Amino acid sequence: MRFKKLMAGVLAGTMALSLAACGGGDTDSGSGSADSDNTQAEASADSEDGEDAEETKEYGEDTLVIWTLAKDLETFADHYQEETGKDVEVVVYAPEDYPTKVQTAIMGGESEPDIIVGEPQMLGDMYDNGFFASLDDLGAQDYADKIVDYVWDVGKDKDGVQRAVSYQITPAGIYYRRDIASEVFGTDDPDEVGKLFADYDTIRETAQKLKDAGYRIFASDNEINYFSGDSAWVVDGELNVDQGRLDYMDLVVDLYQNDLTAYCNQWSTPWYQAMAGEVPILTADIQNYADDSVNVWDAEAFEEQTADLEKTSVFAFGLPSWGVLTMRDNVGELSGKWGVCAGPSYGFGGGTFIGISSLSKKQDLAWDFIQYVCFNEDTADWWIETSQGDTVSLLSALDKHADDANDIYGGEKLYSFWLEQAKGIDYSKVTQYDKVIGDAWGAAIGSIKTGEKSKEEAIDYFYDTVQSTYPELTINR
Amino acid sequence: MDKTSNTHDLIMKGLLYFALGLLAVVSFFPFYLMIINATRSGVEISRSFSVIPSKYLTENYKQLIKYVNIPRGILNSVIVSGFATLLTVYFSSLTAYGLAFYKFKANKIVFGAILAFMMIPGQLSLIGFYQLCTKLHLVNSYIPLIIPAVASPGTVFFLRQYAISTVPTTLIEAARIDGSNELRTFHKIIFPLISPGVATMGIMAFIGNWNSYLLPMIILNKTEKFTLPVMVSTLRSATDLQQNQGATYLAVAISVIPIMLVFAFFSRYIISSISAGAVKE
Repeated sequence: MRFKKLMAGVLAGTMALSLAACGGGDTDSGSGSADSDNTQAEASADSEDGEDAEETKEYGEDTLVIWTLAKDLETFADHYQEETGKDVEVVVYAPEDYPTKVQTAIMGGESEPDIIVGEPQMLGDMYDNGFFASLDDLGAQDYADKIVDYVWDVGKDKDGVQRAVSYQITPAGIYYRRDIASEVFGTDDPDEVGKLFADYDTIRETAQKLKDAGYRIFASDNEINYFSGDSAWVVDGELNVDQGRLDYMDLVVDLYQNDLTAYCNQWSTPWYQAMAGEVPILTADIQNYADDSVNVWDAEAFEEQTADLEKTSVFAFGLPSWGVLTMRDNVGELSGKWGVCAGPSYGFGGGTFIGISSLSKKQDLAWDFIQYVCFNEDTADWWIETSQGDTVSLLSALDKHADDANDIYGGEKLYSFWLEQAKGIDYSKVTQYDKVIGDAWGAAIGSIKTGEKSKEEAIDYFYDTVQSTYPELTINR
Repeated sequence: MDKTSNTHDLIMKGLLYFALGLLAVVSFFPFYLMIINATRSGVEISRSFSVIPSKYLTENYKQLIKYVNIPRGILNSVIVSGFATLLTVYFSSLTAYGLAFYKFKANKIVFGAILAFMMIPGQLSLIGFYQLCTKLHLVNSYIPLIIPAVASPGTVFFLRQYAISTVPTTLIEAARIDGSNELRTFHKIIFPLISPGVATMGIMAFIGNWNSYLLPMIILNKTEKFTLPVMVSTLRSATDLQQNQGATYLAVAISVIPIMLVFAFFSRYIISSISAGAVKE
């Protein structure tokens, strides 16, 4: 008897433990197989669901349904609803699950969403799978000249059919300290400072000069990442690692090994602090967490632990145009002392592209919304105001605001600058493989700079990674 | 002699309590941090962690309700998890009892099939499942989230083993001789006997359903029908992530409360029924 009680207890405990380990698997399993096993059960659930019956009714004929991953579009939708009086229903999903959601729904034949969106790295797959309706059929070509070229190109599929378009542009630029530029180089003019970042060798020299003057060129060694894509990763189904990529690799390794940065990690506390003034010069070991005596994610502890370290000011950051907002929130007293100039090449990062679901039954309404968001000058004006400085893709709006001076950046006319940068972007160099290959290349650079692997080993490993992720690519080692 | 064994006992007990206490602290600490973070602002959270509450609770709450309708989410989640759990528990114990004590030809095959289905992850059939739901017009309803809970192979497997080890066959025979029909035997005699196991599986099923994210995210297309985890995850789409961190912690803290309630309620059954029994040996 006693033994049995004990066994019962032990068993109950074991169940709890083992199931806790299995996690949610239990709830999902068997979902497909047992739908109508038991009528009694169905009845009981049915009556329950009846409570919500009135809310289950389908959207009206005229309701536009938007599935998005960015709250921005919700703001646009509210504005659209106010201005036009049309019904709009916005459903927001977590960005990392958005592709799964759209893929399952569209492949499952769901016609509910009218507007679906994507970020540049998702778009290739979405085009290939036919998720987006053709905008050309709705007359998109009328607007071809009104939108910044590269945004227009990102919205085209392989066959040149327009599938999506974005209301914003995200070209990358170098944000630099005007006061330091004047002191070290005798000028703070964006064009002149741009020459200091003209190519990788020049950046190396600039970095050395700044170090000799007691400054550091960058907070992290990742700042020129946005400008590293001057050639396509994949050309005609073949992996393309050109000299520019190798030069970029050498530059990052040099920046790291020759103490040319402040050894911050992007988005860490000291990286943000560098926007507002002096930061302690960390060591390579702190950056890659080999030395954990300094907590780079904790401002108070950080200050204490780095009190003895030498301090420096950081000269520049490399960020896309949305960096204007990040910098604005973090520059503190250095407001007005920053400027923006061109980097060694053109590049861009991020952006939300909107299109119409190929299964939508309200394509005309959806097209009206896209026209309103992307091609309407009043909307662009409103968005520039509402977002406090986001950069729109509508050329006429950019022209109109070309002379707007931004005081945080020393009165620089940022809209005309970004337009200039956006014009240089060559989208033919962007492929759907970029994210994975770029990350693998970044990992290779990381392992070289810390001395974990030799250059040959790291590049070999990079080839292996790419080969196993994309077996269809030809790789010439 | 007696004395030494007493002190020995005392030391062992002390050690045991110390170890258990330590485990309890370790388990509770992350929850505590979560609750503390719910009272802090996004900027404070990204700076460092702290064990002292801050004063942003109301602001976080205001931020939270600006984005999501939390009571609605809790109601939705309670409906889905509650009914799914009831179905899981009842039908799994019924199946388990049948497999454990009835001798019929296909018994082994059925049990084998159930074991085999345990190995298949549900995510595999996601697109097919969605297609099925579209054809049956069940997208956007809770039926595809609740009804499949009837078949949960894992629960059946564990309850079968549990029933074999706790329920004496003599008891069932006695019930039959006294004229009880089979269903009545199950409801009145077997079910109370295996209720510790059932309570354990019930808690697990409830937590699993409560935290289930992928399937509700795929099936539900309307914001007001979202279950709590899906609702909370949309906080991450906001433009200003940092500002929302406190609100996210608050939402997660709120979403844990029902789980704790259910656990507190059901765990009593685990303990009390272990001592229940009918047969003297």
